[in-house]
Amino acid sequence: MSLESVIIDNVISWLLLLWGITLPIYLLLWAIGLTGFRQVTRFERYDTFYYKMNPVTKIVLGLVVTVIAAATIWWIGAILTAVLLLSYLTLKDGRRKFMLGLYITIMTVVGVTWTYAPYTPITYLETAGFHQFTVIWVWPSYFSVMGYLPDLTLQAVIYGIQISMRFTATILAALILIMTTTPSGILRALRKVGIPEEIIFALVVAMRTVPRIFDAMEVTVNSQFLRGLGSRSNKAFRPFYLIYAAIIATVPIFVYLLKGAKNTAISADTRAFRAYKYRTYLYPMTFSTIDYVTFGIMALGLVLMVVAILLGFGRPIPYTGF
Amino acid sequence: MGFNGIAGVVNAPGQIPWPIIAGYFIIALLIAGYVAKRKGGLSSFTTLDWVYMGVGGAFAVVWDFYLGSFIGRAIPSTPFFDISFVGRFLITMITVGVVRKFGAGMITTFIFNLLADLFHYGFGGEPVYFVYEALTYGLFFDMMIAATGGNLFAIEKPVGSKTTTYAVMLVEGAIIGYVYGAIPYSIFWLGFFAPFVYGGVVNWARIYFLLWAYGVSNIPVGAIGAWITYRIAKAVGV
Repeated sequence: MSLESVIIDNVISWLLLLWGITLPIYLLLWAIGLTGFRQVTRFERYDTFYYKMNPVTKIVLGLVVTVIAAATIWWIGAILTAVLLLSYLTLKDGRRKFMLGLYITIMTVVGVTWTYAPYTPITYLETAGFHQFTVIWVWPSYFSVMGYLPDLTLQAVIYGIQISMRFTATILAALILIMTTTPSGILRALRKVGIPEEIIFALVVAMRTVPRIFDAMEVTVNSQFLRGLGSRSNKAFRPFYLIYAAIIATVPIFVYLLKGAKNTAISADTRAFRAYKYRTYLYPMTFSTIDYVTFGIMALGLVLMVVAILLGFGRPIPYTGF
Repeated sequence: MGFNGIAGVVNAPGQIPWPIIAGYFIIALLIAGYVAKRKGGLSSFTTLDWVYMGVGGAFAVVWDFYLGSFIGRAIPSTPFFDISFVGRFLITMITVGVVRKFGAGMITTFIFNLLADLFHYGFGGEPVYFVYEALTYGLFFDMMIAATGGNLFAIEKPVGSKTTTYAVMLVEGAIIGYVYGAIPYSIFWLGFFAPFVYGGVVNWARIYFLLWAYGVSNIPVGAIGAWITYRIAKAVGV
């Protein structure tokens, strides 16, 4: 091998190591933006079935989806992902939420695939049913120090995509809970499982704080652009200025939130927080027909999972390399 | 079939024997319980402490799952430097630094996990993550609080001359940087919990590599983080 090809191989390998998943994820993150992240982490009032469901049902739904996706063959996870993603159309501003869910799903697939593919031994790929291998890249030998296998095969990439189907459905189910439930609804549900009041209080603060961080970040970043950050540079560099603006905004926002914490604490103390061991709630948690139907569907899903496993459609392969 | 997505594998090739891991967590739990009881348990935390830990948990989630991913596209994640992880580490460090009571590390980590489950993971794999993260990442911070008598990073009071105070602050930050950055993920996660949850084999070449590679970034990040924590604690007025 000539010196030139060795250098090119090394340069490309390092670019793949550093930026391998960057371009597709970067484009998707750009499409989502700070506004998109705020939309998928905030409750917005609406009246379709997810919004009428008891928070406990939605938490159980997340658990059942996780169990089914983890215990069965990859394409069952893919079907679950597709069903959950389509159900985003029923949410408020459904088409936008569907697109956001799709972007997050693709990001997850790309990210998980890249996390597993370089580390998966051929022996495991054979266990997964692959018998012929197409090498798509050969890493420099010293990459083995980082645990990289000598070759990246097409089958390892496919295997990574299969594994990602375990995660995508779970993430979509978790976001449904956040987007369709008020923070107090989630906390009442957690109270039922015995989490201490203090931790529930901290969680209330945290859930209220998450969208506020995106708000503050957006305002701060836009303010910096209005003041001329990167205005004289080429538009192609604007994403880098955005990242720079976000990084330098982080510490001031954190200080701002920590200073505001004192008002929250005084407010809670003057409302007799922790004066009694238990809190009472004005609105009791009730289960409606929608919840019973959902529990029925979940039970059916678990039965079908057992049937699928008995028919040989269980998860046939161990995961490795994560 | 496992439980809640946990395969429950304890005999994967190369996996650390489960009695060693179980022994660590039993001892860690006993230590955490004993010290916490002596310090007054949950009642030792004021309402303000709980708000700080809630804000810290929220910021860690936003950073780890959203902003960190975003920024990480320009600053690629490598074993030497992972912007998502570093951000979460610094946020936890700052939160623990403003509270400075034994248990702050474990509680902040627990709240982060709870939020991460709500926003991202959907409680899949629990309770493994609660136990693993709180009693490694969280406990390491709390052990540092206990070791410094609550005067973490010399925030409470100086420990001598200005130079000595800064030196102590940086050394404490460097120690927690390495311990937090290298040990839980490399030893506990890759050596035991990854195969325990997912199955598979343990890649010890990767573990040995990460044990020193993480030190490259996390020791200086920890030292600088201690100084940032000190400055923020003073700015907030705690």
